[in-house]
Parts: sequence; C-alpha cells; structure tokens
Amino acid sequence: MAEHSVSSSVKIAPPPVELEREHLVANQRSIGWLSDTVANVIENKAPRWWWIAICISVLTSIWLPIGLVYLISTGVGVWGLNHPVAWGWAIVNFVWWIGIGHAGTLISAILFLLRQKWRTSINRAAEAMTIFAVMCAGIFPAVHVGRIWFDWWLFPIPTANSIWPQFRSPLLWDVFAVSTYFTVSVLFWYMGLIPDLATMRDRFRKVAGKVVEPAAKLRNKVAQVFYGLFSLGWTGSNRHWRNYEKAYLLLAGLSTPLVLSVHSIVSFDFAVSQLPGWHTTIFPPYFVAGAVFSGFGMVMTLMIPLRSLYKGLDEIVTVRHLELMCKVTLTTGSIVGYAYGMEFFIAYYGGNPYELYAFKNRAFGDYYWSYWLMISCNVVSPHLFWFKWCRTTPWFIWIVTIFVNIGMWMERFVIVVTSLHNDFMPGNWGYYSPTWVDVCTYIGTFGFFMTLFLLFCRFLPLIAISEVKGVTPQADPHHPLGGAKH
Amino acid sequence: MNDKLTPSNGQKSGPRYWRSLEHKADSPEFREFVENEFPSGVDLIDDPVSRRNFMKIMSASFALAGLGVSGCRRPEHKILPFSKMPENYVHGTPQYYATAMPTRGTAVPLVAKSYDGRPIKVEGNAEYPGSNGGTDQYVQASILSLYDPDRGINFKRADYSVRGGVEVTEFTEDGKKTLKIEPKAGVLKLLEGLANSKTHVLMEQSSSPSRARLVDGLRAKGVNFYEYEPIDFSVHAEAAAIAFGPGVEPYYKLAEAKAILSLDCDFLGTEESAYQHIRGFAEGRRVKDDTKENPADSMNRLYSVEGMLTLTGTNADHRLRIPTGSVIRVAALALAEALDGIGSDGAQDGISQLRAFAADLSKDFSDSHATEGQTKADTAKWVGQCVADLVRLAKRGDKTLVVAGYRQPKEVHLAAMAMNELLGNVGSTLLLRSVKPSGNGSIADLVDQFKDDDNLVVLGGDPAYNSPADLDWAKLVDRAGRVIRQGYYIDQTAQDADAYIPAAHYLESWGDARTSDGTLVPVQPLIAPLFGGMTELEVLARLGGGTESDPYKIVRKTFEGIAGEGDTQWEKFLHDGFLAESASGVENREYDWEVAQAAWLDGVEPVKPPSKGHYEVTFYRDHSVDDGRWCNNGWLLETPNPVTRIAWDNVLLMSYQSARELLGEEAAQEALDFEELDKKSGGLPGRFGFHSDAGHFYQKVYKLEVGGKTVEGPIWLLPGMADNVIGVALGYGRGLGRVGGVAGFDAYSIRTSSAAHFAGEAKLAEKPSATYEVACTQEQGIMDGRPVIREGNANDFNGHKDFVKHFDLDSIHHTAHITKNGARYEWEKDRGDLAASPYKHNFGGASNGPKYMDEERQQWGMVIDLGTCVGCDACVLACQSENNIPIVGKQQLAIGREMSWIRIDRYFSGDEHNPQVSYQGVGCQHCEDAPCESVCPVNATVHDEEGLNLMAYNRCVGTRYCSNNCPYKVRRFNYYDYNRRPFGVEDGKRKPGVFFNDDNDLNNSPLHPGNKSSNGEWELVRWYKDPSRGSVPGLDDGKKENGAFDPEWDLIKLSKNPDVSVRMRGVMEKCTYCLQRIQRGKIEQKVEARDSDNVKVPDGKIQTACEQVCPADAIAFGDISDKESEVYRQIRQNRNYSVLGFLDTRPRTTYLAKLRNPNTAMPDYYDIPNSVKEYNDENHGNVFGGPSHDKTNGHEKEAKH
Repeated sequence: MAEHSVSSSVKIAPPPVELEREHLVANQRSIGWLSDTVANVIENKAPRWWWIAICISVLTSIWLPIGLVYLISTGVGVWGLNHPVAWGWAIVNFVWWIGIGHAGTLISAILFLLRQKWRTSINRAAEAMTIFAVMCAGIFPAVHVGRIWFDWWLFPIPTANSIWPQFRSPLLWDVFAVSTYFTVSVLFWYMGLIPDLATMRDRFRKVAGKVVEPAAKLRNKVAQVFYGLFSLGWTGSNRHWRNYEKAYLLLAGLSTPLVLSVHSIVSFDFAVSQLPGWHTTIFPPYFVAGAVFSGFGMVMTLMIPLRSLYKGLDEIVTVRHLELMCKVTLTTGSIVGYAYGMEFFIAYYGGNPYELYAFKNRAFGDYYWSYWLMISCNVVSPHLFWFKWCRTTPWFIWIVTIFVNIGMWMERFVIVVTSLHNDFMPGNWGYYSPTWVDVCTYIGTFGFFMTLFLLFCRFLPLIAISEVKGVTPQADPHHPLGGAKH
Repeated sequence: MNDKLTPSNGQKSGPRYWRSLEHKADSPEFREFVENEFPSGVDLIDDPVSRRNFMKIMSASFALAGLGVSGCRRPEHKILPFSKMPENYVHGTPQYYATAMPTRGTAVPLVAKSYDGRPIKVEGNAEYPGSNGGTDQYVQASILSLYDPDRGINFKRADYSVRGGVEVTEFTEDGKKTLKIEPKAGVLKLLEGLANSKTHVLMEQSSSPSRARLVDGLRAKGVNFYEYEPIDFSVHAEAAAIAFGPGVEPYYKLAEAKAILSLDCDFLGTEESAYQHIRGFAEGRRVKDDTKENPADSMNRLYSVEGMLTLTGTNADHRLRIPTGSVIRVAALALAEALDGIGSDGAQDGISQLRAFAADLSKDFSDSHATEGQTKADTAKWVGQCVADLVRLAKRGDKTLVVAGYRQPKEVHLAAMAMNELLGNVGSTLLLRSVKPSGNGSIADLVDQFKDDDNLVVLGGDPAYNSPADLDWAKLVDRAGRVIRQGYYIDQTAQDADAYIPAAHYLESWGDARTSDGTLVPVQPLIAPLFGGMTELEVLARLGGGTESDPYKIVRKTFEGIAGEGDTQWEKFLHDGFLAESASGVENREYDWEVAQAAWLDGVEPVKPPSKGHYEVTFYRDHSVDDGRWCNNGWLLETPNPVTRIAWDNVLLMSYQSARELLGEEAAQEALDFEELDKKSGGLPGRFGFHSDAGHFYQKVYKLEVGGKTVEGPIWLLPGMADNVIGVALGYGRGLGRVGGVAGFDAYSIRTSSAAHFAGEAKLAEKPSATYEVACTQEQGIMDGRPVIREGNANDFNGHKDFVKHFDLDSIHHTAHITKNGARYEWEKDRGDLAASPYKHNFGGASNGPKYMDEERQQWGMVIDLGTCVGCDACVLACQSENNIPIVGKQQLAIGREMSWIRIDRYFSGDEHNPQVSYQGVGCQHCEDAPCESVCPVNATVHDEEGLNLMAYNRCVGTRYCSNNCPYKVRRFNYYDYNRRPFGVEDGKRKPGVFFNDDNDLNNSPLHPGNKSSNGEWELVRWYKDPSRGSVPGLDDGKKENGAFDPEWDLIKLSKNPDVSVRMRGVMEKCTYCLQRIQRGKIEQKVEARDSDNVKVPDGKIQTACEQVCPADAIAFGDISDKESEVYRQIRQNRNYSVLGFLDTRPRTTYLAKLRNPNTAMPDYYDIPNSVKEYNDENHGNVFGGPSHDKTNGHEKEAKH
C-alpha cells in the first residue's frame, strides 16, 4: 500500500503485500489532522451526548457521599456484613477497581518497554482510567474499617504512644502498594501529558486574536492559563524532548514492577491468611492476570463508544487496536481460566478436606450462581476472541467486555464471600447478603468514575497526540508526507 | 480445681471476701441502721427515677447509717474525696456478700459481688455443702433485671370509679377522687383492715420460713391463702406423699446413680434446681483419669424417654421418643419389667395389669428410636433392655435412679418411685426429706371460695397472663371488691388492680429461703430498693396490721425461732450464707404398694396416641424466660435455646415426620436441606442444616387449635421430636417491657387447667401467606465429617485409648513426617504426641530476639470436657454478666451479629428422626501462634508472655481481618454502638421490641432529621445539641422538668462491671480468659507474697466466669506449665485434643473428647457414635475400626490418604 520513500541512491524493493503491516492510523492521515482531530474534542462545543452522560454520571455519583455519610455516621452495620462474613462488597469493590486500574500502567509501561507502538492510541485514556479506578478503589479500604477516624494509625507515623503499625499485616502492605502505585501512575500520566498540554496551549494562543465573543474569549484565556501552567513551559525543543524521553523510559521502568506488585500484594490480603479458598500460593500471578484481563476489558468498554462518538477517533483507535487488545484479553482470560482449574485440582490433589470443601462450596453451595456467572463471563466469553469476526466487530467486543467486567467482579465476590461464609467450623457458618447501602455506594463509585472520565475527555487530550504522531509513517522526515508541514 | 475461691480461707492479707452486713458493726450507727432498714425518707421518694433521685436513694441509707459496709452504699458526696474513708471500704475493690435467690420451691445460695454499692455479678456459694459454685442461666441473668428500666417504679392507684381500669393513673394531689395523701401511703392505706376472712391472697410458691410464719399468723385471722405457679414442680412431692406417706418430698443424688432412666424428666434443663442435677450427673459421668481408669466402668448411663427434645434427651446414651402423654405407658411397661426382673412378691398381680396398659406400645410407636439402616424397631424391646440393665446393676449392688418429670401425671411418678423401691434406690439416690405442707390452696380453690366483693391481694406472679385459660381471671377480678397487686412489672394483673405495689428485686430484699435439701439460707440485700419497692414479707406484715413490718426483723425473728437467739449464729448465718446442719431430716420410708396401686388404678387414664392431623401439644418451661418471669431480660432472651438455637421467640416445634406430613415431602426436605444430603449437588452437607433463605429463616405461620382456643406461631422443624407432637414454650408474648415486649406468642391462651402440660386433639391450620422471621444462631446443624467434636463409646475406649489422635489432618498418620523433638517449651517437653513448633523464634535465642512466651511466668490455658458439658448455656450468661457484653436485638441476631464471647455449638448426627446430639462451647482459643495477630495492621491484637491473646480495644480500628483469619470465628464485632443503645426506641419514641437499626433505612442515621432518638446517634451531634449532656444517650423527650435526662442510661451503666471496658462501635472483641480476674488474682498473690518470691498464683484461685459458673465443672482453667495444676493434668489425658489442631496455631484451649456410654443390648446401639461414622464416610477414615467391624476387635486400621 504505502510506498516507502528512501534515499534515491539505495533502491530497496518494497516489502511483499502480505507482509505489509496495517498502519496504526488509518487512511494515511497527516499529522496535522491528528492534532486537529484530538484537539477538536476539547475545542469544539461539547456534544449533546456528553452533556447527557455527565448529568447521569453526576447524579449517580451522589450515591457515593450518601452511602459514605450514612456509613460513617451510623456504623459499619449499615452494610450487610455479619459474623462470619466480615468482609463483603467493600473489599470486592476495592479489589475490582484496583484490577481495572491495571491496564493503564501495563499499556503505558510494559508495552512501552516492549516497543509495542500500537499502545500510543490508547495509553492516555487507559492511564486516566487507571487513576480514576484507583481513586474509586482507595475509597473502600479507607471507609470499611470500624473507626474511620483512626485510619491514620495504618501509616507509620511516629506518635506519642510509640505504637507502630504491624508490618506483618497484608493490609499494611496494601497501604504502601496502593499509594505507591497511585503516585507513580499519576506522575507517569502527567509526564506524558506535558507535550500535549503544550500543544493545547499553543492552539488556544493561536486563535486568541480571532475570538470575539466575550464568553469564548474568557474560555480561551482560561484555557491558555490552564494549559500553559501545566505544560511547564514546554517548547518542544530538542533538549526538552531528550529529557522527556529519558524520564519517560525511567518511569516506565519504575512502573513495570508496580504493575506486578500491586495486585500481588492485594492478593496477599487473601493468600497470607489461612482460610480455605484464600490460602493459595497461586493468587499473586492469578490476580495480576485477572487484573490485566479486567483492565483491558474496561479500556475497551470505554474506548469503543468513544471512538464512534468522537469524529475521526475511529481512525486513530482502529479495529486493529481493538483486535490486539482482544488478544491480550484472550491470553489473560485463559490464564485466569487455567488458575480456576488449577485451584480445583490442587484442592483435590492437596488432600485437605477443608480446602476441597471450600471449592466444592463455590461451585455447588449457596453462592453457586456467582461462581457459574464468573465462569461463563471469565472463562467462556473471552474464548470467543479466537474467532476473527468476534475480535473485529466493535459492538460485539463491547458486549464481551461488559461480561468480562461482570465476571471479574464476580470472581472477587466468589473469593471473598464464599470462602468466609462456610469456613472451618460448621457451627458458625452463615450467609451474607448486601444491603442497599452496599449497592448504592458501589453504584456511586461508577458515577464518580464516569464523571471524572468524562471531564478528562472534555478537557484533556484523550489521545497522546505526540506519541501517535511518532508512530505514523509521516513521522519519518523523509516520508513524502513527512515532516512538520503544518 | 475444686478448691474454689472461698470466703474465709484464711488469707493473711488482701481483701476479705465475704462480709456480713454488720460485720464489725457493733456501732450505735449500725443499730440505728438496723432499726431503720430502710431508713425513713426512702419511702417518700416516689418520683420516677431520675439521675438526681437515683443518686439520692443510692446514698440515703448509707449516709444515715454512716457505715462503709452496712448500707451497701457510699456517701452522696461524690465529688469530695474521702477525707474520712469509710471503714473497710477500698475504692475499686469489690465486696462480696452471701445471699440467695429464691426460686419456686427452693433457693440458690449465692455470693454477690458488689462495687461501690452496686451488685454486678452473682456466683454460686461454693461454701454451701454440696455446691461447686455453679449456678444456672436464670441466676446469672437475674442481676440484669435489677437494673431493668421497665420495672414498676411507683406505687400506683387506679381511679376507684373505674373497675378493672385499663389505665393506671398516677396518684397526684390535683387528681379527682383521690385522697390527699401521697401515693405510697395511699396504697398502703388500702392494705389496712384486710386481715379478715374476706381477704384472699394469691402468691407464688416459696420456701421462705418467714413467709410461712406470717401466713400462719394471718390465716389465724381468717385470711385465705392460695399459691399458683404456672409451671409447678410439686407433683414430685404429691406423688411421694402418696407412695411414701404424707410429709415427704423427694430429692435426688444423681452422682451415685450408675444408670438413670428419665421418664420425660428434663432434670438437666427445665426441672427445678437443674444446675444441681447437672452437677450430680456430671459427677457420675466424669472420667477423672483415663490413663488409669476404664470409662466403661466409671461412667454412668442415661436413658431418656420423652416427647420433646430436651437437654436431658440430647445428653442421653439412649433415647426413646414417645409423645408426652404416652410416656405413662412406657412407665407402666418399665415397671412391669422391673417387677419381673427383681421378682418382688405381693405385687405380682399388678404386672399383667401394667402390661395390658402398655400393650401395643410397639405398634403405636414402631419407629420411635428407629435408626438409619435399621428395620422398624421394637419399642417394647427398648424398654425391656433398658430395665434389664437397671436390674442387672441393682443386682450387682450398684445404685440406679428412675425419675419422672413435672409434666407427667402423678401415676408416672408413682411408677418411677416403685421402680426405685424395687431397684433399692430409696435412701441412696432417691432421698425423702420431710416437709411441712404449706396449707395454701390452689388457684382453682381461689375461684371456688371467692365470694363477690371479697378482697384480692396478688403477690408476685401474673395470673392475668398465665392463669389457666379456662379460669377466667378477668371475671374474678370483676367480682372482687378491692384488688391489690404487688409485682415486679406493671403487667396486666397490675393494670386490673386498684393499687399497685412495686416489688423489690431479691438483691434489694431481706428474706430467707430453704434450698432443695431444706437448708436455711438468707436473702440479704446488696442495695436499697432502687425504686422503693417492697418485699412480699413486708406486704404480708402490713396486711396483718402488726407493729412489725420491717422484713429484716421478721427474718431475724424467724431465724431465732429456728437457730436460737444471739448475734453469733445470726452473723455466721449471714456471713456463710447458709445455716449449717439445717437441712431437713431424711426420712426412711417404705413404698406403700397398696396405696400406690390404688392411686394408680384410680387415676390412670390411657392417653390416645396422637396421629396425623391430631397432634399432641406439649408445653414446656422455656430456657430463657422460664414461665414468663424473665420476659424482659435481654440477656436471657438473646441467649439461644440450647437445643433449637433459637433466640427471642418461641415456635411450634415438630418432628421431621410431622413436618413432612404437614408441609409435604419437598418442603420438609428443604427445611432440613435434604436435597444436599442426597449428594445431588456435589456431596455438600446440609442435613439438619436448616438452611435459610438468604441468611434469614422466614417460617410459615400456623394456627394451633386446642379445645377451641387458638394461637398462632411459626413452625420449626426439630429432629428428634416425637412424631405428631407440637412443642410450645410458655412464657412468651407477655407483651411487657420494651426488650421482650414483642417476643414470641402467648401459649397460656391455649393452656387449660385440665391439660396444663400436654393436650391432645390439637389441630394445625396454615395461616395463608403468613411468614414470621425466626432468629436462629446456628444455620448449620451437623459437623459433616469434620471432627470438631470427637466422640467415642466408653466400651471402645480401652482398645483405642488414643482415638482422638486419629482424626483430621493432624492424625498421627498424617503427621508422621513431622519432627516431634524440635524446639519446645519447658512445660511440653513430655508431650511426645505434640509436633514440635516450627517457629524457632518463639524460643528466643541470640538472633531471634525475645521469646514469645516467658517460661518464668505462668502460662494460662483452659480445658473443656465435652464429656460432662451438657450444653446448659450458664457459661454464656456468666460471661455476658462478667464482661459487659451487650445484647444486639433480634434483627441483628438474625443476620448473625450476636456478641456473646462463648457460643455453644450444637451438632446433630445420624438419623433425622432421632439424632445424636453433641455440644461444644467455643470461645477464643488463645492460640500461641494466633492467626488474628499477624494480620492486624495496627497491633491491636497481640500476645503476652503468659500466652494470652490480648485485644487492645483502644487501638482497634476495626478492619475485621482478624475475624476473617480466625479459624474458630470467635471474634465479635461491634457493628453498631450496641453498648450505648437505649432500649426500644424508634423515631424518638419508645417502642417495644425495637433495637438497633432493625430495618436498615436512613431513619437510623443520626443525620436524618426525623431521628430524634439516640438510636445510633452520633456523639458529636448529641454534644452539639446540648454540650452539658456530654455523651449520655437517651431520649430527647425523656427530659424531665428539672433538666434531668432519661434515667435509662444510668441504669444501664450501673449494671456494668467496672473491671472491664465497655466497647464502642467499630471495635472487635472476644474472650479474654477473664483477664481482669487473672490480674486480680495476681495482685492478690503479690500482696500475699510480700517479700517472698511466692508470686505464682496457686491453681484454682483464678477462675474465669465460665469456669466458675459451670455446674458440671466441665471447664478447667489454670497454669499449663504448673505440674500440679488441673489443666496440666487434663491436657495429659488421652482424650485431650485441639480443635483444628492441624493448623498448628497451638490453641491454649483444648478439649477432652466426649464419651458416650451406650448399652450394647439396646436396639438403638451404635458401634461408633454417628459423628464418627460421618467422619469415616467423609474422610475415608476408619477410626474405631469402622462400623462393620466387631467392636471388640482390637485391631484397627486407619486408612491413610
């Protein structure tokens, strides 16, 4: 298709057509078009669907403060927790949101180190999603404790009474793991934003003189100040780029172990205990795979509608991108499915009747529905992606990703609740069901998450403009269409 | 271990424990106090209690008496320091007084612990002969009723013009048609001039000699006296009077009986003085040292015949379920067999008569003890083999015992006594003590003898509620001229009366009583009546118009009549809590065959066996509310019934077969979760699981009709009930008080005098689409092959001494690879069976830092003997009282948020018609390597050097991770501020039965504008509304004119043990081994040791609350490193094991396996206990060689896997 333009003195035959790779940006779009398409999302008036969506999101998010104020004022009893099920939806939601938050950093860091250039179209939105998901996740461990006002005791702060946190507790590791992850994710995201913020600053500056309407003038002014402030004086000089690339690489290196560590540590909350169904060494890799699985699921859940709603975005986030993400989903989904099978095998093979019972109970006990929902969503549905049609049809992918999200929530529910409700001594077995407060608080986090994400779409470049430009053929200055022509 | 905390065991220093009221009280002040018990001024206080008033009365008598000990009070000057310390008063040091709690015919001798004038805990008087200090659940909970804010607090008079007035108006000076005197005087004035034959006094039963003396005096003036107890145990005495001649009453010495046959006698549960029977039974059952003795020789054996499933039945080795009304036929057959077996002359004619009476027993109840895999069993064979066993023992010279229950007619008692006579038990296990009949009439006599416009005085009880349904109490009251009521609550009886006198709690009263063997015990007050109540004695004395109405003087005078005058013995009496050698004489009498046979023939009636659709209702005394007297006691209401594990309600109990017929096969199976038993879904357990719908038990409501009267209640399937029998607990639905106001339904409404204990021809009709939520604390009723309770048969024991080591993953076969000789603590060096600790750091060393456990210090541990524990729940209540454990209300309980630190797990095993039952008390196990500790992020739960798993409440943030990681799930979380909850408040209004956030809606948020109550109120909000109120919860509208707040909070606070912190919401809590008692014991020992190094607390000096209360002595607590201690010895018993030992958490609480003692000749004999069979089936194990093997075959093979 596209001809490579090389030095006229050296003639290299163009590669055979079957080895041609599809371009990451469709339709040979120029890099100017790229800037325009992404920036126009911010510059143009917000479309009607955005207003509808943000209204719904904000209204939904109101449930979050309602749920939390009621919880904190009245006591943890407003949730459906009991004895023996002392952890319920809060912990399920925490693990689920943290899992969602895995895709962003994986895409931006690991795929960056692996030189997977296709990541550039989706990494910005995925990172934003990560940060918002971790924010939602962080709410739950903070509020699920009985005496929220003493949460600070979990931090190693020297106090007059000289009691330190207990460093053997996985909950304490969580505090460090999650806060580190959040900090690094924010830094990484923000660093990547700087060149694009500068682009936005420049674009607003460029049109400043042409704006006459007072409201638009003010908006232009605010935008210039905002983007100007946060672009930290970026000029796009060679020196800036050199430092930027180096820092980006370093942060990518720093984030990579975090991708593995956060969910490993979250899984320690369970694996370190001795409860049958929790006490499993397979948990760290299996949780990480599950997290990536759900993270990619959520990225696609968000990106598929966005690419059709914003004009031109489907040429940047192409079907090929979706297909690649589907392959990652298929891989991690298979790992998760393998882990489910292995858990059962070890429960049988390990010869511990309590362990075996815990797994039988998952599949055939009171909560069998959650188990089979999990299996059908997490194990069955990703295998549809073996079929080309399935992984290249956006609406179909979207439906599957919804199943993935449901399935991964169910997985955490199965682990947390079914293990607890029937454990060692039959005399204390019980049953757990959530109250409206549990449900509404969870729904509230959706509203909170979507509100943040919609605001992000509206005010920040949701595609990494500079990075996408870098992977287009035109980025090559020798390309006929290459170079900064605009 | 039996060396309990004794009153005067000669301590050289430290506190003196028991103190009579006037110990060291020769002072004139004391004399004055005695004159003025309780001093003038108290009488005048008739305001509803307010904080101010409360403090006033709290201190009034004390201030007047001017003595530290005598007034049970400390002075009112609470802000000023004690510049003059009252004598013998040490702030923060409890004082102990001997007293007694009167029950129906007897009394429980007690030692009450008092802090600053408030009684906070009662314990059995261990000094009392034959007592181990154990008591029962009612006694433990009785202290809460003292502080019950719903008790009657004022003298009240109904308006004279309103007969049977619905409304009791408080007497005020402005009121119309009232005398110009204050209420108390007004009420007491009504008592004047009643000492004549037109006065009828209805009382409860009592053993008080003072009351008998006063009654005698009044009777001479013509006053008529009657007694009524809805649950009446006097049939024992009635039958004895027939069989052995008048003037005797039986009492039992169970400890010496090698075999016991119970004919519907729940002597371990609902009979009078059950705690004493438990002690005797446990004594006869205990295997003291299984390394030396053969349990098959030393254990007693219990046969039980009953229609209900009672504590006695669940503890029996063999149980025959027969409808309650048909027990008489079993009794007849048993007696005939005994006559045959012993060969008594002169009574031979009766045998054929008895046999004829018992004919067709096997036909009518063909599957009464049918068991899984057995053919229809022969009931007659069961009885025959049982009696043969008794006869065999009797011929060998061993003592046995046959007992009949209070529910049974006196003919059954006659048969039981006849058997005892034949078996030679009279005078050894069945003793006859002489009694003087009270001479009081029955409630039926009252109705007969009552003439219109006679006057009625009702002391105690609540006849308007609990009199027989056919009696028409309301009509009697209508006919009466003047009705005066003394009672604890303003109940229906009080509302119908013209005047109400609040009754004093026994801890506020002077009185006396006789225990079951007739020993005289004092009832001493620990506190002046909180609300100015009066004792029965005082009312009677005033009724007589005599000069002396002071109960103290009355009691003392009675005492002097018995023991002679003089201060010395009186003081000793009060100090010891009993009068030595005052037990009534044991009479040596012969069974009068002729009279008894005549009585039998005269009274005996064959009861038609119930059949499908024609049920038999059995009424039973409730384990929580008794006959309704504890209807507002939250501790008791929240303690689940030991057998059903249901709290807060009564239900219609029925057997699996009856449920199947009533509900249909499918629904009955669902109720028991049989589907899962059938392994249709992966072999999950569920039998007797009662699996609930989403954690809730919504039971169908049925209408029960007996003789035209109906009552509605939820049905509950209880395996082991006799078929076609409906069990109904009495005492609920009294509609009284805010705690128990809505609990259960009133079964008295269908109970008539002719069918007081069981009634035939009852019908059940479904109330369409009505369901009722029942709060059951145990959803899973079986162990399903998990060896948490390990059991064996006594006759197998000698061949399998180490059988407990063959269970679970820590079976000796599974752990063969684990080194047994690694690092060990000093005190476990001799335990070859114990795996060495893999945790080297526990043992210190240069690089490992300090040792976890300090070998120099005492190491606390506990052993619970499942062989003697009968599951009576007394420990649960004692723990609640000792450790300030809040109640949570029915709704919170129903969703599994109970707070009790000990739970009794009850497991069924075997057949669903007649299962075996096992009990296990589970509290914190104090694991040495505690899983809870390593997961707490804030160091709130930590270990100490003495092996205690500590809980620092102040440090807890409430992540609940510790609970998740606890294999025993013994930790309890304060989901709400349960301890600050006011009783029965909703939307700012008082409402019975409402607890804490019952229906989880926004109304409960303190931020909701509609929420005026402190139902979960945020302290900050409370403080903001009224800073001067501090953090006192209570009703806003409870403010009194003078600005005082609702008094409930003060009452609730008074009942708390100051040694134990009260936990707030969001905090985890659990059993501490009564840390406060350990500390007190250590301090006392250090005081005693002075300069010497002898700071080791001797064994038995520290008793945990559960250990102290246990009538069976099934709990031992002490230093496991002390070779002389009881726990050290018990840990080295063959039967000792750790629950879930394979987790290697090294729990400090261990258990002694349960031994059953079945008779091989019985048709329901099992080679191995059913739970072991389940274990074998589930785990492919082969403990005891399996059921197919000959039990005598010593070879056992345990499958390895």
